[in-house]
Amino acid sequence: MTLTLHDATFALLALLTLGAALGVVLARNIVHSAFLLVLTFLGVAGLFLTLDAGFLGLVQVLVYGGAISVLVVFAVMLLMSEQAGQTNPPGASRFTRWAGGVGAVALALALGAAVCTTAWEPGSGPRPEAVAELARLMLGDYVVPFEAAAVLLLLAVVGAIILAKGEDGR
Amino acid sequence: MPYGLLAPEIAVTSLGLVVLGVGLLSRPRPHPAVRVLAVSGLALVLCWVALTFTRQASFFGGVYQVDSFASFFRLLFLSAALLVLLMSGRYAARFGPRLAEWYAFLLFATAGMMVMAGSGDLIALYVGLELMTVSFYVLSGYLLADARSAEAGLKYLVLGALSSAVMLFGMSLVFATARSTVFTAIAAAVAAPAPSPPALLAGIALLAAGFAFKVAAVPFHMWAPDIYQGAPTPVTAYLAVASKAAAFAALLRVFLAALPGQLPDWQPVVALLAAVTIVAGNLIALAQTDVKRLLAYSSIAQAGYLLVGLSAANPYGLRGVLFYAMLYVFANVGAFAVLTLVEVDTGGTGLDSFNGLGQRAPMLAMVMTVCLLSLAGIPPLAGFAGKFYLFAGAVQAGYLWLAFVGLLMSMVSVYYYLSVAKAMYIGPAERTAPVTVPSPARLCLWVCLAATLAIGIYPGPLSALAQVSALLP
Amino acid sequence: MIGISHYLLVATALFAIGAFGVVAKRNAIAILMSIELMLNAVNINFVAIDRYLAPGGALGQLFAVFVIAVAAAEVSVGLALVISIYRQRRSVNLDDFNLLKW
Repeated sequence: MTLTLHDATFALLALLTLGAALGVVLARNIVHSAFLLVLTFLGVAGLFLTLDAGFLGLVQVLVYGGAISVLVVFAVMLLMSEQAGQTNPPGASRFTRWAGGVGAVALALALGAAVCTTAWEPGSGPRPEAVAELARLMLGDYVVPFEAAAVLLLLAVVGAIILAKGEDGR
Repeated sequence: MPYGLLAPEIAVTSLGLVVLGVGLLSRPRPHPAVRVLAVSGLALVLCWVALTFTRQASFFGGVYQVDSFASFFRLLFLSAALLVLLMSGRYAARFGPRLAEWYAFLLFATAGMMVMAGSGDLIALYVGLELMTVSFYVLSGYLLADARSAEAGLKYLVLGALSSAVMLFGMSLVFATARSTVFTAIAAAVAAPAPSPPALLAGIALLAAGFAFKVAAVPFHMWAPDIYQGAPTPVTAYLAVASKAAAFAALLRVFLAALPGQLPDWQPVVALLAAVTIVAGNLIALAQTDVKRLLAYSSIAQAGYLLVGLSAANPYGLRGVLFYAMLYVFANVGAFAVLTLVEVDTGGTGLDSFNGLGQRAPMLAMVMTVCLLSLAGIPPLAGFAGKFYLFAGAVQAGYLWLAFVGLLMSMVSVYYYLSVAKAMYIGPAERTAPVTVPSPARLCLWVCLAATLAIGIYPGPLSALAQVSALLP
Repeated sequence: MIGISHYLLVATALFAIGAFGVVAKRNAIAILMSIELMLNAVNINFVAIDRYLAPGGALGQLFAVFVIAVAAAEVSVGLALVISIYRQRRSVNLDDFNLLKW
């Protein structure tokens, strides 16, 4: 019985995520896009929960649903002074739109075919407690990327301030 | 584990943090000591890497490797960073109060490259790559008063983030089939003689496409010339030389250490990519009238030559990749150093800015000519020896046609390289005042000139070094 | 029953939607949003693989955490660049940026 509940949850969340994502790229108003983006992020967080990845689901809500969305919405509010309906137009050339559409469908079909024709053998093994295992990996074997990511976040903050402040900013 | 071998990465990162701190303390104008600090620090780390070259270790269950391959590329990145810092003095004055941060970003980018070259795992590789590219996004947009610079930064960010996403999707499919992110474990998991599963092939294709974006191979090169032209010139030099070499280091690691069993799957694709890149890069370069943009297309073509070595996938070709990447540093930084000095002097980078340079600054004109001829592969300069290894490797691997395309296009490239020389020596001179060359830039020019000549006349030592460092499938 | 391939297919679809957005949009912020969609697709892959194919460790979740951290850094720099270019050009449409030509 729990299995079917899992299935139904997955189907709902997948529909929500993909529908919202389509809305992001099709909306002509950038504010709508931004809010649909938040919905997509939350849908992905839900998918993480169905995968028993509760910690990652929370990180997704906090970082994507919270921080990144706020940043995007902030930039949208700061920069949009035109009429809201035309703030997010599709590309000017009809050719790139069609090429993009056909290319994206072809990409999805090719990758989907590759996924479907591969025989996936479920892995086995005891599932460790995810948070403890993540901590062990990050500060153990993966300490080099962990430190590199720390430097990356620092330089992104400094760089963003420099670029956004402008030439005459004091 | 001998953690001392991680000292270069730690030292360069710390140096970046110290430079950042000194810049904060010396407001509003950064203290001149910042540059001295960065240069001397890098020189010390370079000496340290050279002295400990033979010491090797594998860290954290293979996640991080300090082998001769990593050390070779560390030498390359550090030399490139040092040369760029030496030659950028006058140009960097444009950054005003943001100068110290500029040095810090260059150092962080260098640290990212070193992590890429040393990575033995997809996660380490990805984070190193992003550390490098995010630094470059900021550096490309660093000329805040110049709209072209911001445009270059934004275009680089869109392109870089897109290619990272493509590469990551490929990595996830490789992870799905191999169930590990460590290269040695991936190689063991997918080495089975059975045909590769479709998901793995799709993953390899996406990885190849992502890397093709990163090394600016045709047809994934769109916007690369825009980025090169819009970014501050010393940044372009560093981007064209070190970031490209770092992408190649990562490419070699992934394809030779993790996916050697799939060699028949990816070899023809890489060969085709190399041929298209060489042809398109050289042909479009013919039409350029701006030297900065000309060098951008030339560096696209040079990436094609390096891909020839990878597609050969034999000791000759792979040694050639390392050999060529190293000599390319000196030839290209030399050319960009002259370009930077000319840009500071005349305010432009068009071919007409070089008119009469032969009389105004014979030394600059000579370095430029030697470096460009080396890029074209004229004997006895370094580029000739490098192309010899690459094409010989291709012939040995049975890609005779590829070697032929490379040779033919090298001849074509002589034309546009010489068009710069023509402007310098027989172009109508509007200015007559000599160009001032500060002594650090002079040192950089001499090093580039000497290295280009020395490697060309006596390629033995570098060739031997490349041979022991090359990664083999 | 829902298994690994269903998650991978959802991720593939999300990835393709994002790729379409990058090609077909011209507002720089919308393009950044589309790239975020692609990165989210990658994260679904990593977490699903972690759950179904490699349950003995947490490598997939670890990779996803790094992707999220890097994406946050990238977005902040990206939006700063958008603001920087808007200050000079009063536009955020990539089509309008043609100071640099082929």
